[in-house]
Amino acid sequence: MLSQRLIARTVARPAFVPSSLPRIVSSTSRWSRTYASAAEEKDLVIVGGGVAGYVAAIKAGQEGMKVTCIEKRGTLGGTCLNVGCIPSKSLLNNSHLYHQILHDSKHRGIEVGDVKLNLKQLMKAKEQSVSGLTKGVEFLFKKNGVEYIKGAGAFQDEHTIKVQLNDGGETSVRGKNILIATGSEATPFPGLEIDEQRVITSTGAIALEQVPKKLVVIGGGIIGLEMASVWSRLGSQVTVVEFLDQIGGPGMDLEIAKSAQKILKKQGINFKTGTKVLSGDKSGELVKLEVDSAKGGKAETLEADVVLVAIGRRPYTGGLGLENIGLELDERGRVIIDSEYRTKIPHIRCVGDVTFGPMLAHKAEEEAVAVVEYIKKGYGHVNYGCIPSVMYTFPEVAWVGQSEQDLKKAGIKYRVGTFPFSANSRAKTNLDTDGMVKMIADPETDRLLGVHIIGPNAGEMIAEGTLALEYGASSEDIARTCHAHPTLAEAFKEAAMATYAKAIHF
Amino acid sequence: MASIAAAACRASLRLARTQLNRDATARGFRTSAAALAAQNFTMPALSPTMTEGNIAKWQVKEGEKFSAGDVLLEIETDKATMDVEAQEDGILMKIMQGDGTKAIKVGTRIAVIAEEGDDISALNIPADEAPEPKSAAEPAKSEQSPASAAESHSSAPTPAAPKSAPKAHGKGPKRNYPPLPSVLHLLKENGLNESAISNITPTGPNGRILKGDVLAFLGKINSNVPSDISIRFENNSHLDLSNIKVAKAPEPKKVEKKAAPVPEQPKISTVQVSVSLGAVSAVQKQLNKKLRLELPFSSFVFRAADLANERLPRAKPTPDALLNELLGMEKESDYFSRGAYLPDIGTIRLTSTAPAAPKARHAKGSDIIDLLSGTSKPASKPAASAGIISGTATTFSLTVPSAEAERASLFLHRMKVILEEEPDKLVL
Repeated sequence: MLSQRLIARTVARPAFVPSSLPRIVSSTSRWSRTYASAAEEKDLVIVGGGVAGYVAAIKAGQEGMKVTCIEKRGTLGGTCLNVGCIPSKSLLNNSHLYHQILHDSKHRGIEVGDVKLNLKQLMKAKEQSVSGLTKGVEFLFKKNGVEYIKGAGAFQDEHTIKVQLNDGGETSVRGKNILIATGSEATPFPGLEIDEQRVITSTGAIALEQVPKKLVVIGGGIIGLEMASVWSRLGSQVTVVEFLDQIGGPGMDLEIAKSAQKILKKQGINFKTGTKVLSGDKSGELVKLEVDSAKGGKAETLEADVVLVAIGRRPYTGGLGLENIGLELDERGRVIIDSEYRTKIPHIRCVGDVTFGPMLAHKAEEEAVAVVEYIKKGYGHVNYGCIPSVMYTFPEVAWVGQSEQDLKKAGIKYRVGTFPFSANSRAKTNLDTDGMVKMIADPETDRLLGVHIIGPNAGEMIAEGTLALEYGASSEDIARTCHAHPTLAEAFKEAAMATYAKAIHF
Repeated sequence: MASIAAAACRASLRLARTQLNRDATARGFRTSAAALAAQNFTMPALSPTMTEGNIAKWQVKEGEKFSAGDVLLEIETDKATMDVEAQEDGILMKIMQGDGTKAIKVGTRIAVIAEEGDDISALNIPADEAPEPKSAAEPAKSEQSPASAAESHSSAPTPAAPKSAPKAHGKGPKRNYPPLPSVLHLLKENGLNESAISNITPTGPNGRILKGDVLAFLGKINSNVPSDISIRFENNSHLDLSNIKVAKAPEPKKVEKKAAPVPEQPKISTVQVSVSLGAVSAVQKQLNKKLRLELPFSSFVFRAADLANERLPRAKPTPDALLNELLGMEKESDYFSRGAYLPDIGTIRLTSTAPAAPKARHAKGSDIIDLLSGTSKPASKPAASAGIISGTATTFSLTVPSAEAERASLFLHRMKVILEEEPDKLVL
């Protein structure tokens, strides 16, 4: 059997005989060349030009290392800059403006005539932001002496990365150190094939060519809710289906998540929490989803023009050739590392979404700097207990540190102080009074344990909470720090006062 | 000792300052570093992609004053001519690159400027600190080297060295920042002055005294509480890398059991198969007779290996494959891939006592060298090589990680089939 198949193949490939020998000879000479030119070995070769990869490359360049960064997308910045954080923020901001002009300007005393949506222009504005930023990163590469190779890298051996160049051809780079920063990709939904037209991931959701009449979002996490907001504001009838009983993902404080769901519902987004999607069918004109209450209730069928799959992201190591060097992954596909980001081959390290920890751009950025410092100086630092999260809906939701349910579960005593934006003067004048600041502190020492904000500008305000947490502040320390009047940040201060004593204005 | 440490500290401080100044001037003259009255003005980058430009015309003459917003000069790039405006008030002390100078790299000094009110006749022109276009990194490095060598031995991991210096000054970590507002407040409220701080045990990050530490010092809370909380924070600050579950390789399928003994080493396995090369040497003889062609034995091996490497089952499915399997979306490529094996070859003579191929490596390019220079016979002596290999059996072996043993043994069996049964197909 085997020999027959093999022979059939030989016969089918007459070119095989002449081609095989030269190929082997050439690979030998390439191999010996890399040995001869040991001087060309880089201090650091980075696979992946996303937030983890490019930050590490720039940092390494600044540290005087010879560094190469390999990226196959064609532009730098990875998911975040190209199809993630950045384009979605452009859409969120502009769709919010549109929505506000349409529904909210009249009672503010601004009467606008005919308001029309030009989706093409909306997308163009987004693309401008993206291309400006990715080119900016390319400029920073030049400035810091980073060699940039456009192509797909794969491990040839423990020190060599073979690159299939985007422009055709092949090259290889040798590195004293190698950094894996290949990031993540959207997790597909079993049985629903992604076509990025009718069944989409976040990548398709930032590039739809028309506003879908009905949009169903599978997954009520941050990505799902942000995209639900964009298309709901632009006119879609949006339903979010979430398996858990809470939206916002596991990190969000329950009380804040409840409040967010209430406000978003008021804006016109339908929620089906505690609901399981059983199967999908996109053979008809509309995509059909069979859903069922997770606790076993009645089944129903949802129909949609477009279904967004936003059930999470998974590490991406496809085509990286990890099997060639025997690197192991854990059961969820993450590259296994130690506390200094080393894989079991010590000169190969790994940071960002493709390894452990929350899949956040700013976490990857912190790790990128730390890993270069480990390589160069032997010590780097990331405080994983102090990484903020932000959901850019309106109002925004942001948090840092531990949530109330975390602490409850761990049996840790805590004290909570809150302050609503409805009692904040600036929010009142802005007519944006939804939301609150919630602070959690140790009941005895008053040391800050977590900050949770839902409200206008929460994403900016969380920086103060992160700083306070990083420095080990108590809520009293925040309360005794002067905050300008009238600002939204006063709500932050008042929440601190409410935590250790009493708020003045509530 | 202390004085040496102090000197080292001072040296590093000076280093930091020159570094700071260099950064500041390199950025343009946005900053008004008081210590440096005359500053270098370098070619600015007017767009993200700009690397060099031409000076079209200076609008301000040497010795003239200018205010923030004045146009200093016009710069031509390949795209456009642009005005460069002053960011702050100042005096143009000296123009280093005059009108019409072409192709000036971004960051190169083009003028020296002074602060408004400076007597420019009394000022020295600072050294050109901007990196020279070519040997940029080298001089900068050598400038630093004396002090930086003292600080840390280049990249050697000696993180403790710089940190230990300040400790020499006194007991406990030296505080050079104001106490937190809550700390100060508590002290004053309880009739203590700031000096009491030295008696308080800090539990905050970097030895900072927190409100809880004062409360514990005052006996208002249990003295263990602050440190217990700190331990909790310390635990939260790390990635949880405990309890990692390595992705499981699927149970190796039982293919071809007679596949050569696999020694039970934990990591490396040697797989071997004996191959009769009679057929190969018959083909060699035929070729020689009919076509007067001398094809070395190694060519047969290379070509057979090339074929046998096709579509080998993966030793371990990739995580993508596992996920795909979970989601019911397997692809063929998840389970098969092209191998990169080349067998090590020895005759029975060599392998009767020990596994063959002492240099056997994990099937990479290097094996080709072993093969060409070592065990296989040189191509120039076809008769001799035929003599050796026409003996009944030759051992092909591979040394691979245990996980790949199945894959490797399949490869060797394919080699065997190809070389024993249809070696002629390799040449035709």
